[in-house]
Amino acid sequence: MRKKKEKGLYLSDRPPLTPLKAVLLTISYILLFIYVFVILWPLAQIVFSSFNGSQDQYIRIGGTYEFSLKHFKYLFEETYFLNWVVNTIVIAVATALLTLLFVSFTGYAYSRYRFKGRKASLMAIMLIQTIPSFVGIVAYYTMHSIIAAVIPGFSRQMFLVLIYAGGGIASNTFILKGYIDSISTELDDAARIDGCGNLQVYRLIIMPIVRPMLAIIALWSFIGPFLDYMLPSILLSDPKQYTLATGLYTLITDVRNMHQPVFAAGGLLTALPIIILFIALQNQLVSGLASGAVKG
Amino acid sequence: MKIELNNIGKKYEGRENFTIRNIDLEIDDKDFCVILGPSGCGKSTLLRMIAGLTSITEGDLYFGGKRMNSVEPKDRDIAMVFQSYALYPHMTVYENMAFSLKMRKERKSVIHERVLEAAELLKITDYLYSKPSEISGGQRQRVALGRAIVRKAGVFLMDEPLSNLDAKLREHMRVELVRLHQSLDTTSIYVTHDQTEAMTMATKIVLLDQGKVQQVGPPTLFYEKPANLFVAGFIGSPTMNIFNGEIKEGNFHSLEEDFVIEPKESDRELLKPFEGKKVAMGIRSERFIAGEAEKNAINVKVDVIEMLGKEQLLYCQFPNGKECVISEPGYFEYAVDEDHNFHLDLDGLHFFDAETTERIN
Ligand SMILES: Nc1ncnc2c1ncn2[C@@H]1O[C@H](COP(=O)(O)OP(=O)(O)OP(=O)(O)O)[C@@H](O)[C@H]1O
Ligand SMILES: [Mg+2]
Repeated sequence: MRKKKEKGLYLSDRPPLTPLKAVLLTISYILLFIYVFVILWPLAQIVFSSFNGSQDQYIRIGGTYEFSLKHFKYLFEETYFLNWVVNTIVIAVATALLTLLFVSFTGYAYSRYRFKGRKASLMAIMLIQTIPSFVGIVAYYTMHSIIAAVIPGFSRQMFLVLIYAGGGIASNTFILKGYIDSISTELDDAARIDGCGNLQVYRLIIMPIVRPMLAIIALWSFIGPFLDYMLPSILLSDPKQYTLATGLYTLITDVRNMHQPVFAAGGLLTALPIIILFIALQNQLVSGLASGAVKG
Repeated sequence: MKIELNNIGKKYEGRENFTIRNIDLEIDDKDFCVILGPSGCGKSTLLRMIAGLTSITEGDLYFGGKRMNSVEPKDRDIAMVFQSYALYPHMTVYENMAFSLKMRKERKSVIHERVLEAAELLKITDYLYSKPSEISGGQRQRVALGRAIVRKAGVFLMDEPLSNLDAKLREHMRVELVRLHQSLDTTSIYVTHDQTEAMTMATKIVLLDQGKVQQVGPPTLFYEKPANLFVAGFIGSPTMNIFNGEIKEGNFHSLEEDFVIEPKESDRELLKPFEGKKVAMGIRSERFIAGEAEKNAINVKVDVIEMLGKEQLLYCQFPNGKECVISEPGYFEYAVDEDHNFHLDLDGLHFFDAETTERIN
C-alpha cells in the first residue's frame, strides 16, 4: 500500500535526466562495460584453460572443451609447485611482518618526535625511492656474500625478504607518518597522563587507530613477493627455492617444456592466498575509526 | 594539593623569545583557579607545563612542596580535560573512562565501581557502551570530564573544556563544573579566554597577557580594582570606559572630551605625585548617574541603544566623536540622537598612570 503511494514520487537526490544527459550516461555505461570486458575476458580465459583437458602445451581460444583437472595434477606432481607456494608464502609473510614492525616504529617516530636530521633523512628516504631496485643487483650479491660469511645460515631467500622489506619500509613510512600526523597529539597527551609510556601510547592508542592503514600496508607487502619476478629470478638459482612467479615462469619459457594451461592453473591458485588474506583483513580495512576523537 | 610556580618560564624550540616568563603563582589547596587571557597568550603552555606535557625551561614547579619539574605526567597525580576532549576513538565510553585505572592495574571491580559512579554523576550511564563517534558534542565533553574524574587525582586541569558547546549548555556546565569541583575536593586549574567563565567560576583568577601575569586575585578584585589598563579593558562587559587626561591642581582634566573631574579625597592624595602628568581614568558603564550636576558632569548624544530588559546600554558620543558606554535601568526612557546629561560616581573611578598603565588608586 505504502509502496504504491511512493511510486509516483521522484525520490532521487539528483536532478531529473534530460535527453542529452541520458545519452551521455548511456555512453559512459558502454565505456565501462568495455573496460570490464577487457579486464575480465583474459581472466576468464585463464580459468577456462586451466580446467580444459583438451589443451596441452598452448592455450588456444575456441576449440573443444573438456573438463579435467589434469593441469592441476601436473602442477602438483611434475613440478615443485608446493615448494614454490611455501617459499612465496614464507617470504611474503616475513616481508609483511618485518615491514609492519619497522614501519610502525619509523612512522610513529617521524610523526611524533622532533630530532636532528628528521627532515633530511625523510628527504633521503624519498629520493632513494626513485632509484629502481635492480640497480642494486651487484650490491645485493656482494652484500649477501658478506652477510652469509658472518651468518652461515643466511639464505638467498632471507636476503630477498630483506630487500622487499627494505623497500616497503621506506615508502610505507611516508604513508603511515602522514596518517599518524592527522591524529591529534592531544590523544598522546591524554594517554601519557593516563599512565602510558612511549611504546604504550603507540600500542594502545595510535596503533588501533591506524589499523586500517597497517592492514593495507600488510596487504601490499604480502602481495609484493607474489608479483615480483625479477629479483627472485636473479638471486635464486635452485628451482626448489623459486617463488611462485619465477617457478611458474619456467612452464612457459621453453618450447620443449611448454605448458601454458598449467601456468594458467598455477596462476589461478596463486590468487588464493591473496584473496584469503584480503578477506581476513576486510574488517580491518574499514576506515573512519579516527572520527569522533575530537570535537565536532 | 597546593601548587607553587616559582619564576616559571617557557621558551619553545626554534622561537626567538620566551612564550611566557617570570610566572610566580601560588594556588592553594581546593582552589578553583582560572587562568584567563586572550588567545595565544600562553595559557595552554602554562597548563601543559603544570601537567608535565611540555618541559619547563626555567623556574620550579612544586606540588605540595615537592619539586615536580622532571616528574612524568602520570606520576604527578593529575587529571586533565583537553581542549579537543581527546577521547580514544577506538574505545567505548566505558573503556575510555576505565583506561587510566586499567593502566594502574586496579582491580576490575574497583574500576567498574568508579566508572559507574562517575557516569552517574555526569548522567552518561545510557551510552557507556557507545563509541565517542556515536555521541553528541556535549556528551563527549561529559565523557572527557568523566575520564578525568575516575582517577580521583589531586589536581584537576581543564583547558577550555566548554569552548565548543552552545551557549545554553555552556551556562549549565559552568554551574556543573563548580559543583563537581566542590564535590571532588580537589585543586582545579581551568584555562579559558572567556572572562564570564572566569568571573563566575573562579575562586582565584590569574590574568595572563603577553607571557606575563597581569593580576592575580579573586574575581571581585578584578572588577573593582583592576591592576592596570589591560585588566581594566579585559574584565567586565561592556568594556570599561577609558579617558585620557591630565592632573591639574588635583583635578582630572580630560584632554579631548573637555570635562573636569574632582576626585574624592582619598584619590586626591594618591594622585598628588601625578600633578601635571598624563593619567588615564576608567569608569564602568553603571557608574554614570543620570541627571545634571554642578560638578563631574558630562553631556553626550545617544547614538545606539541596546535594550537588555532589566537595563539598557547607551552607546553615546561626545561632541568630538569619542564613544562611551553608559548603562541605565531599563525603564528609563531614552531615544536615539537625544542629548543627555550624566554625572560620574566618584567611588567608581579608576586612575591609571598613562605611561606605565599601572593602577594609581
Ligand atoms: N609546540 C609549540 N612550538 C612552538 N611554539 C608554540 C608551541 N605551542 C604553542 N606555541 C606558541 O606559544 C604561544 C602561546 O600558545 P598557547 O597554546 O599557550 O596559547 P593559548 O593561550 O592557549 O591560546 P588559545 O586561547 O588560542 O588556546 C603561541 O604564540 C604559540 O604560537
Ligand atoms: Mg589553548
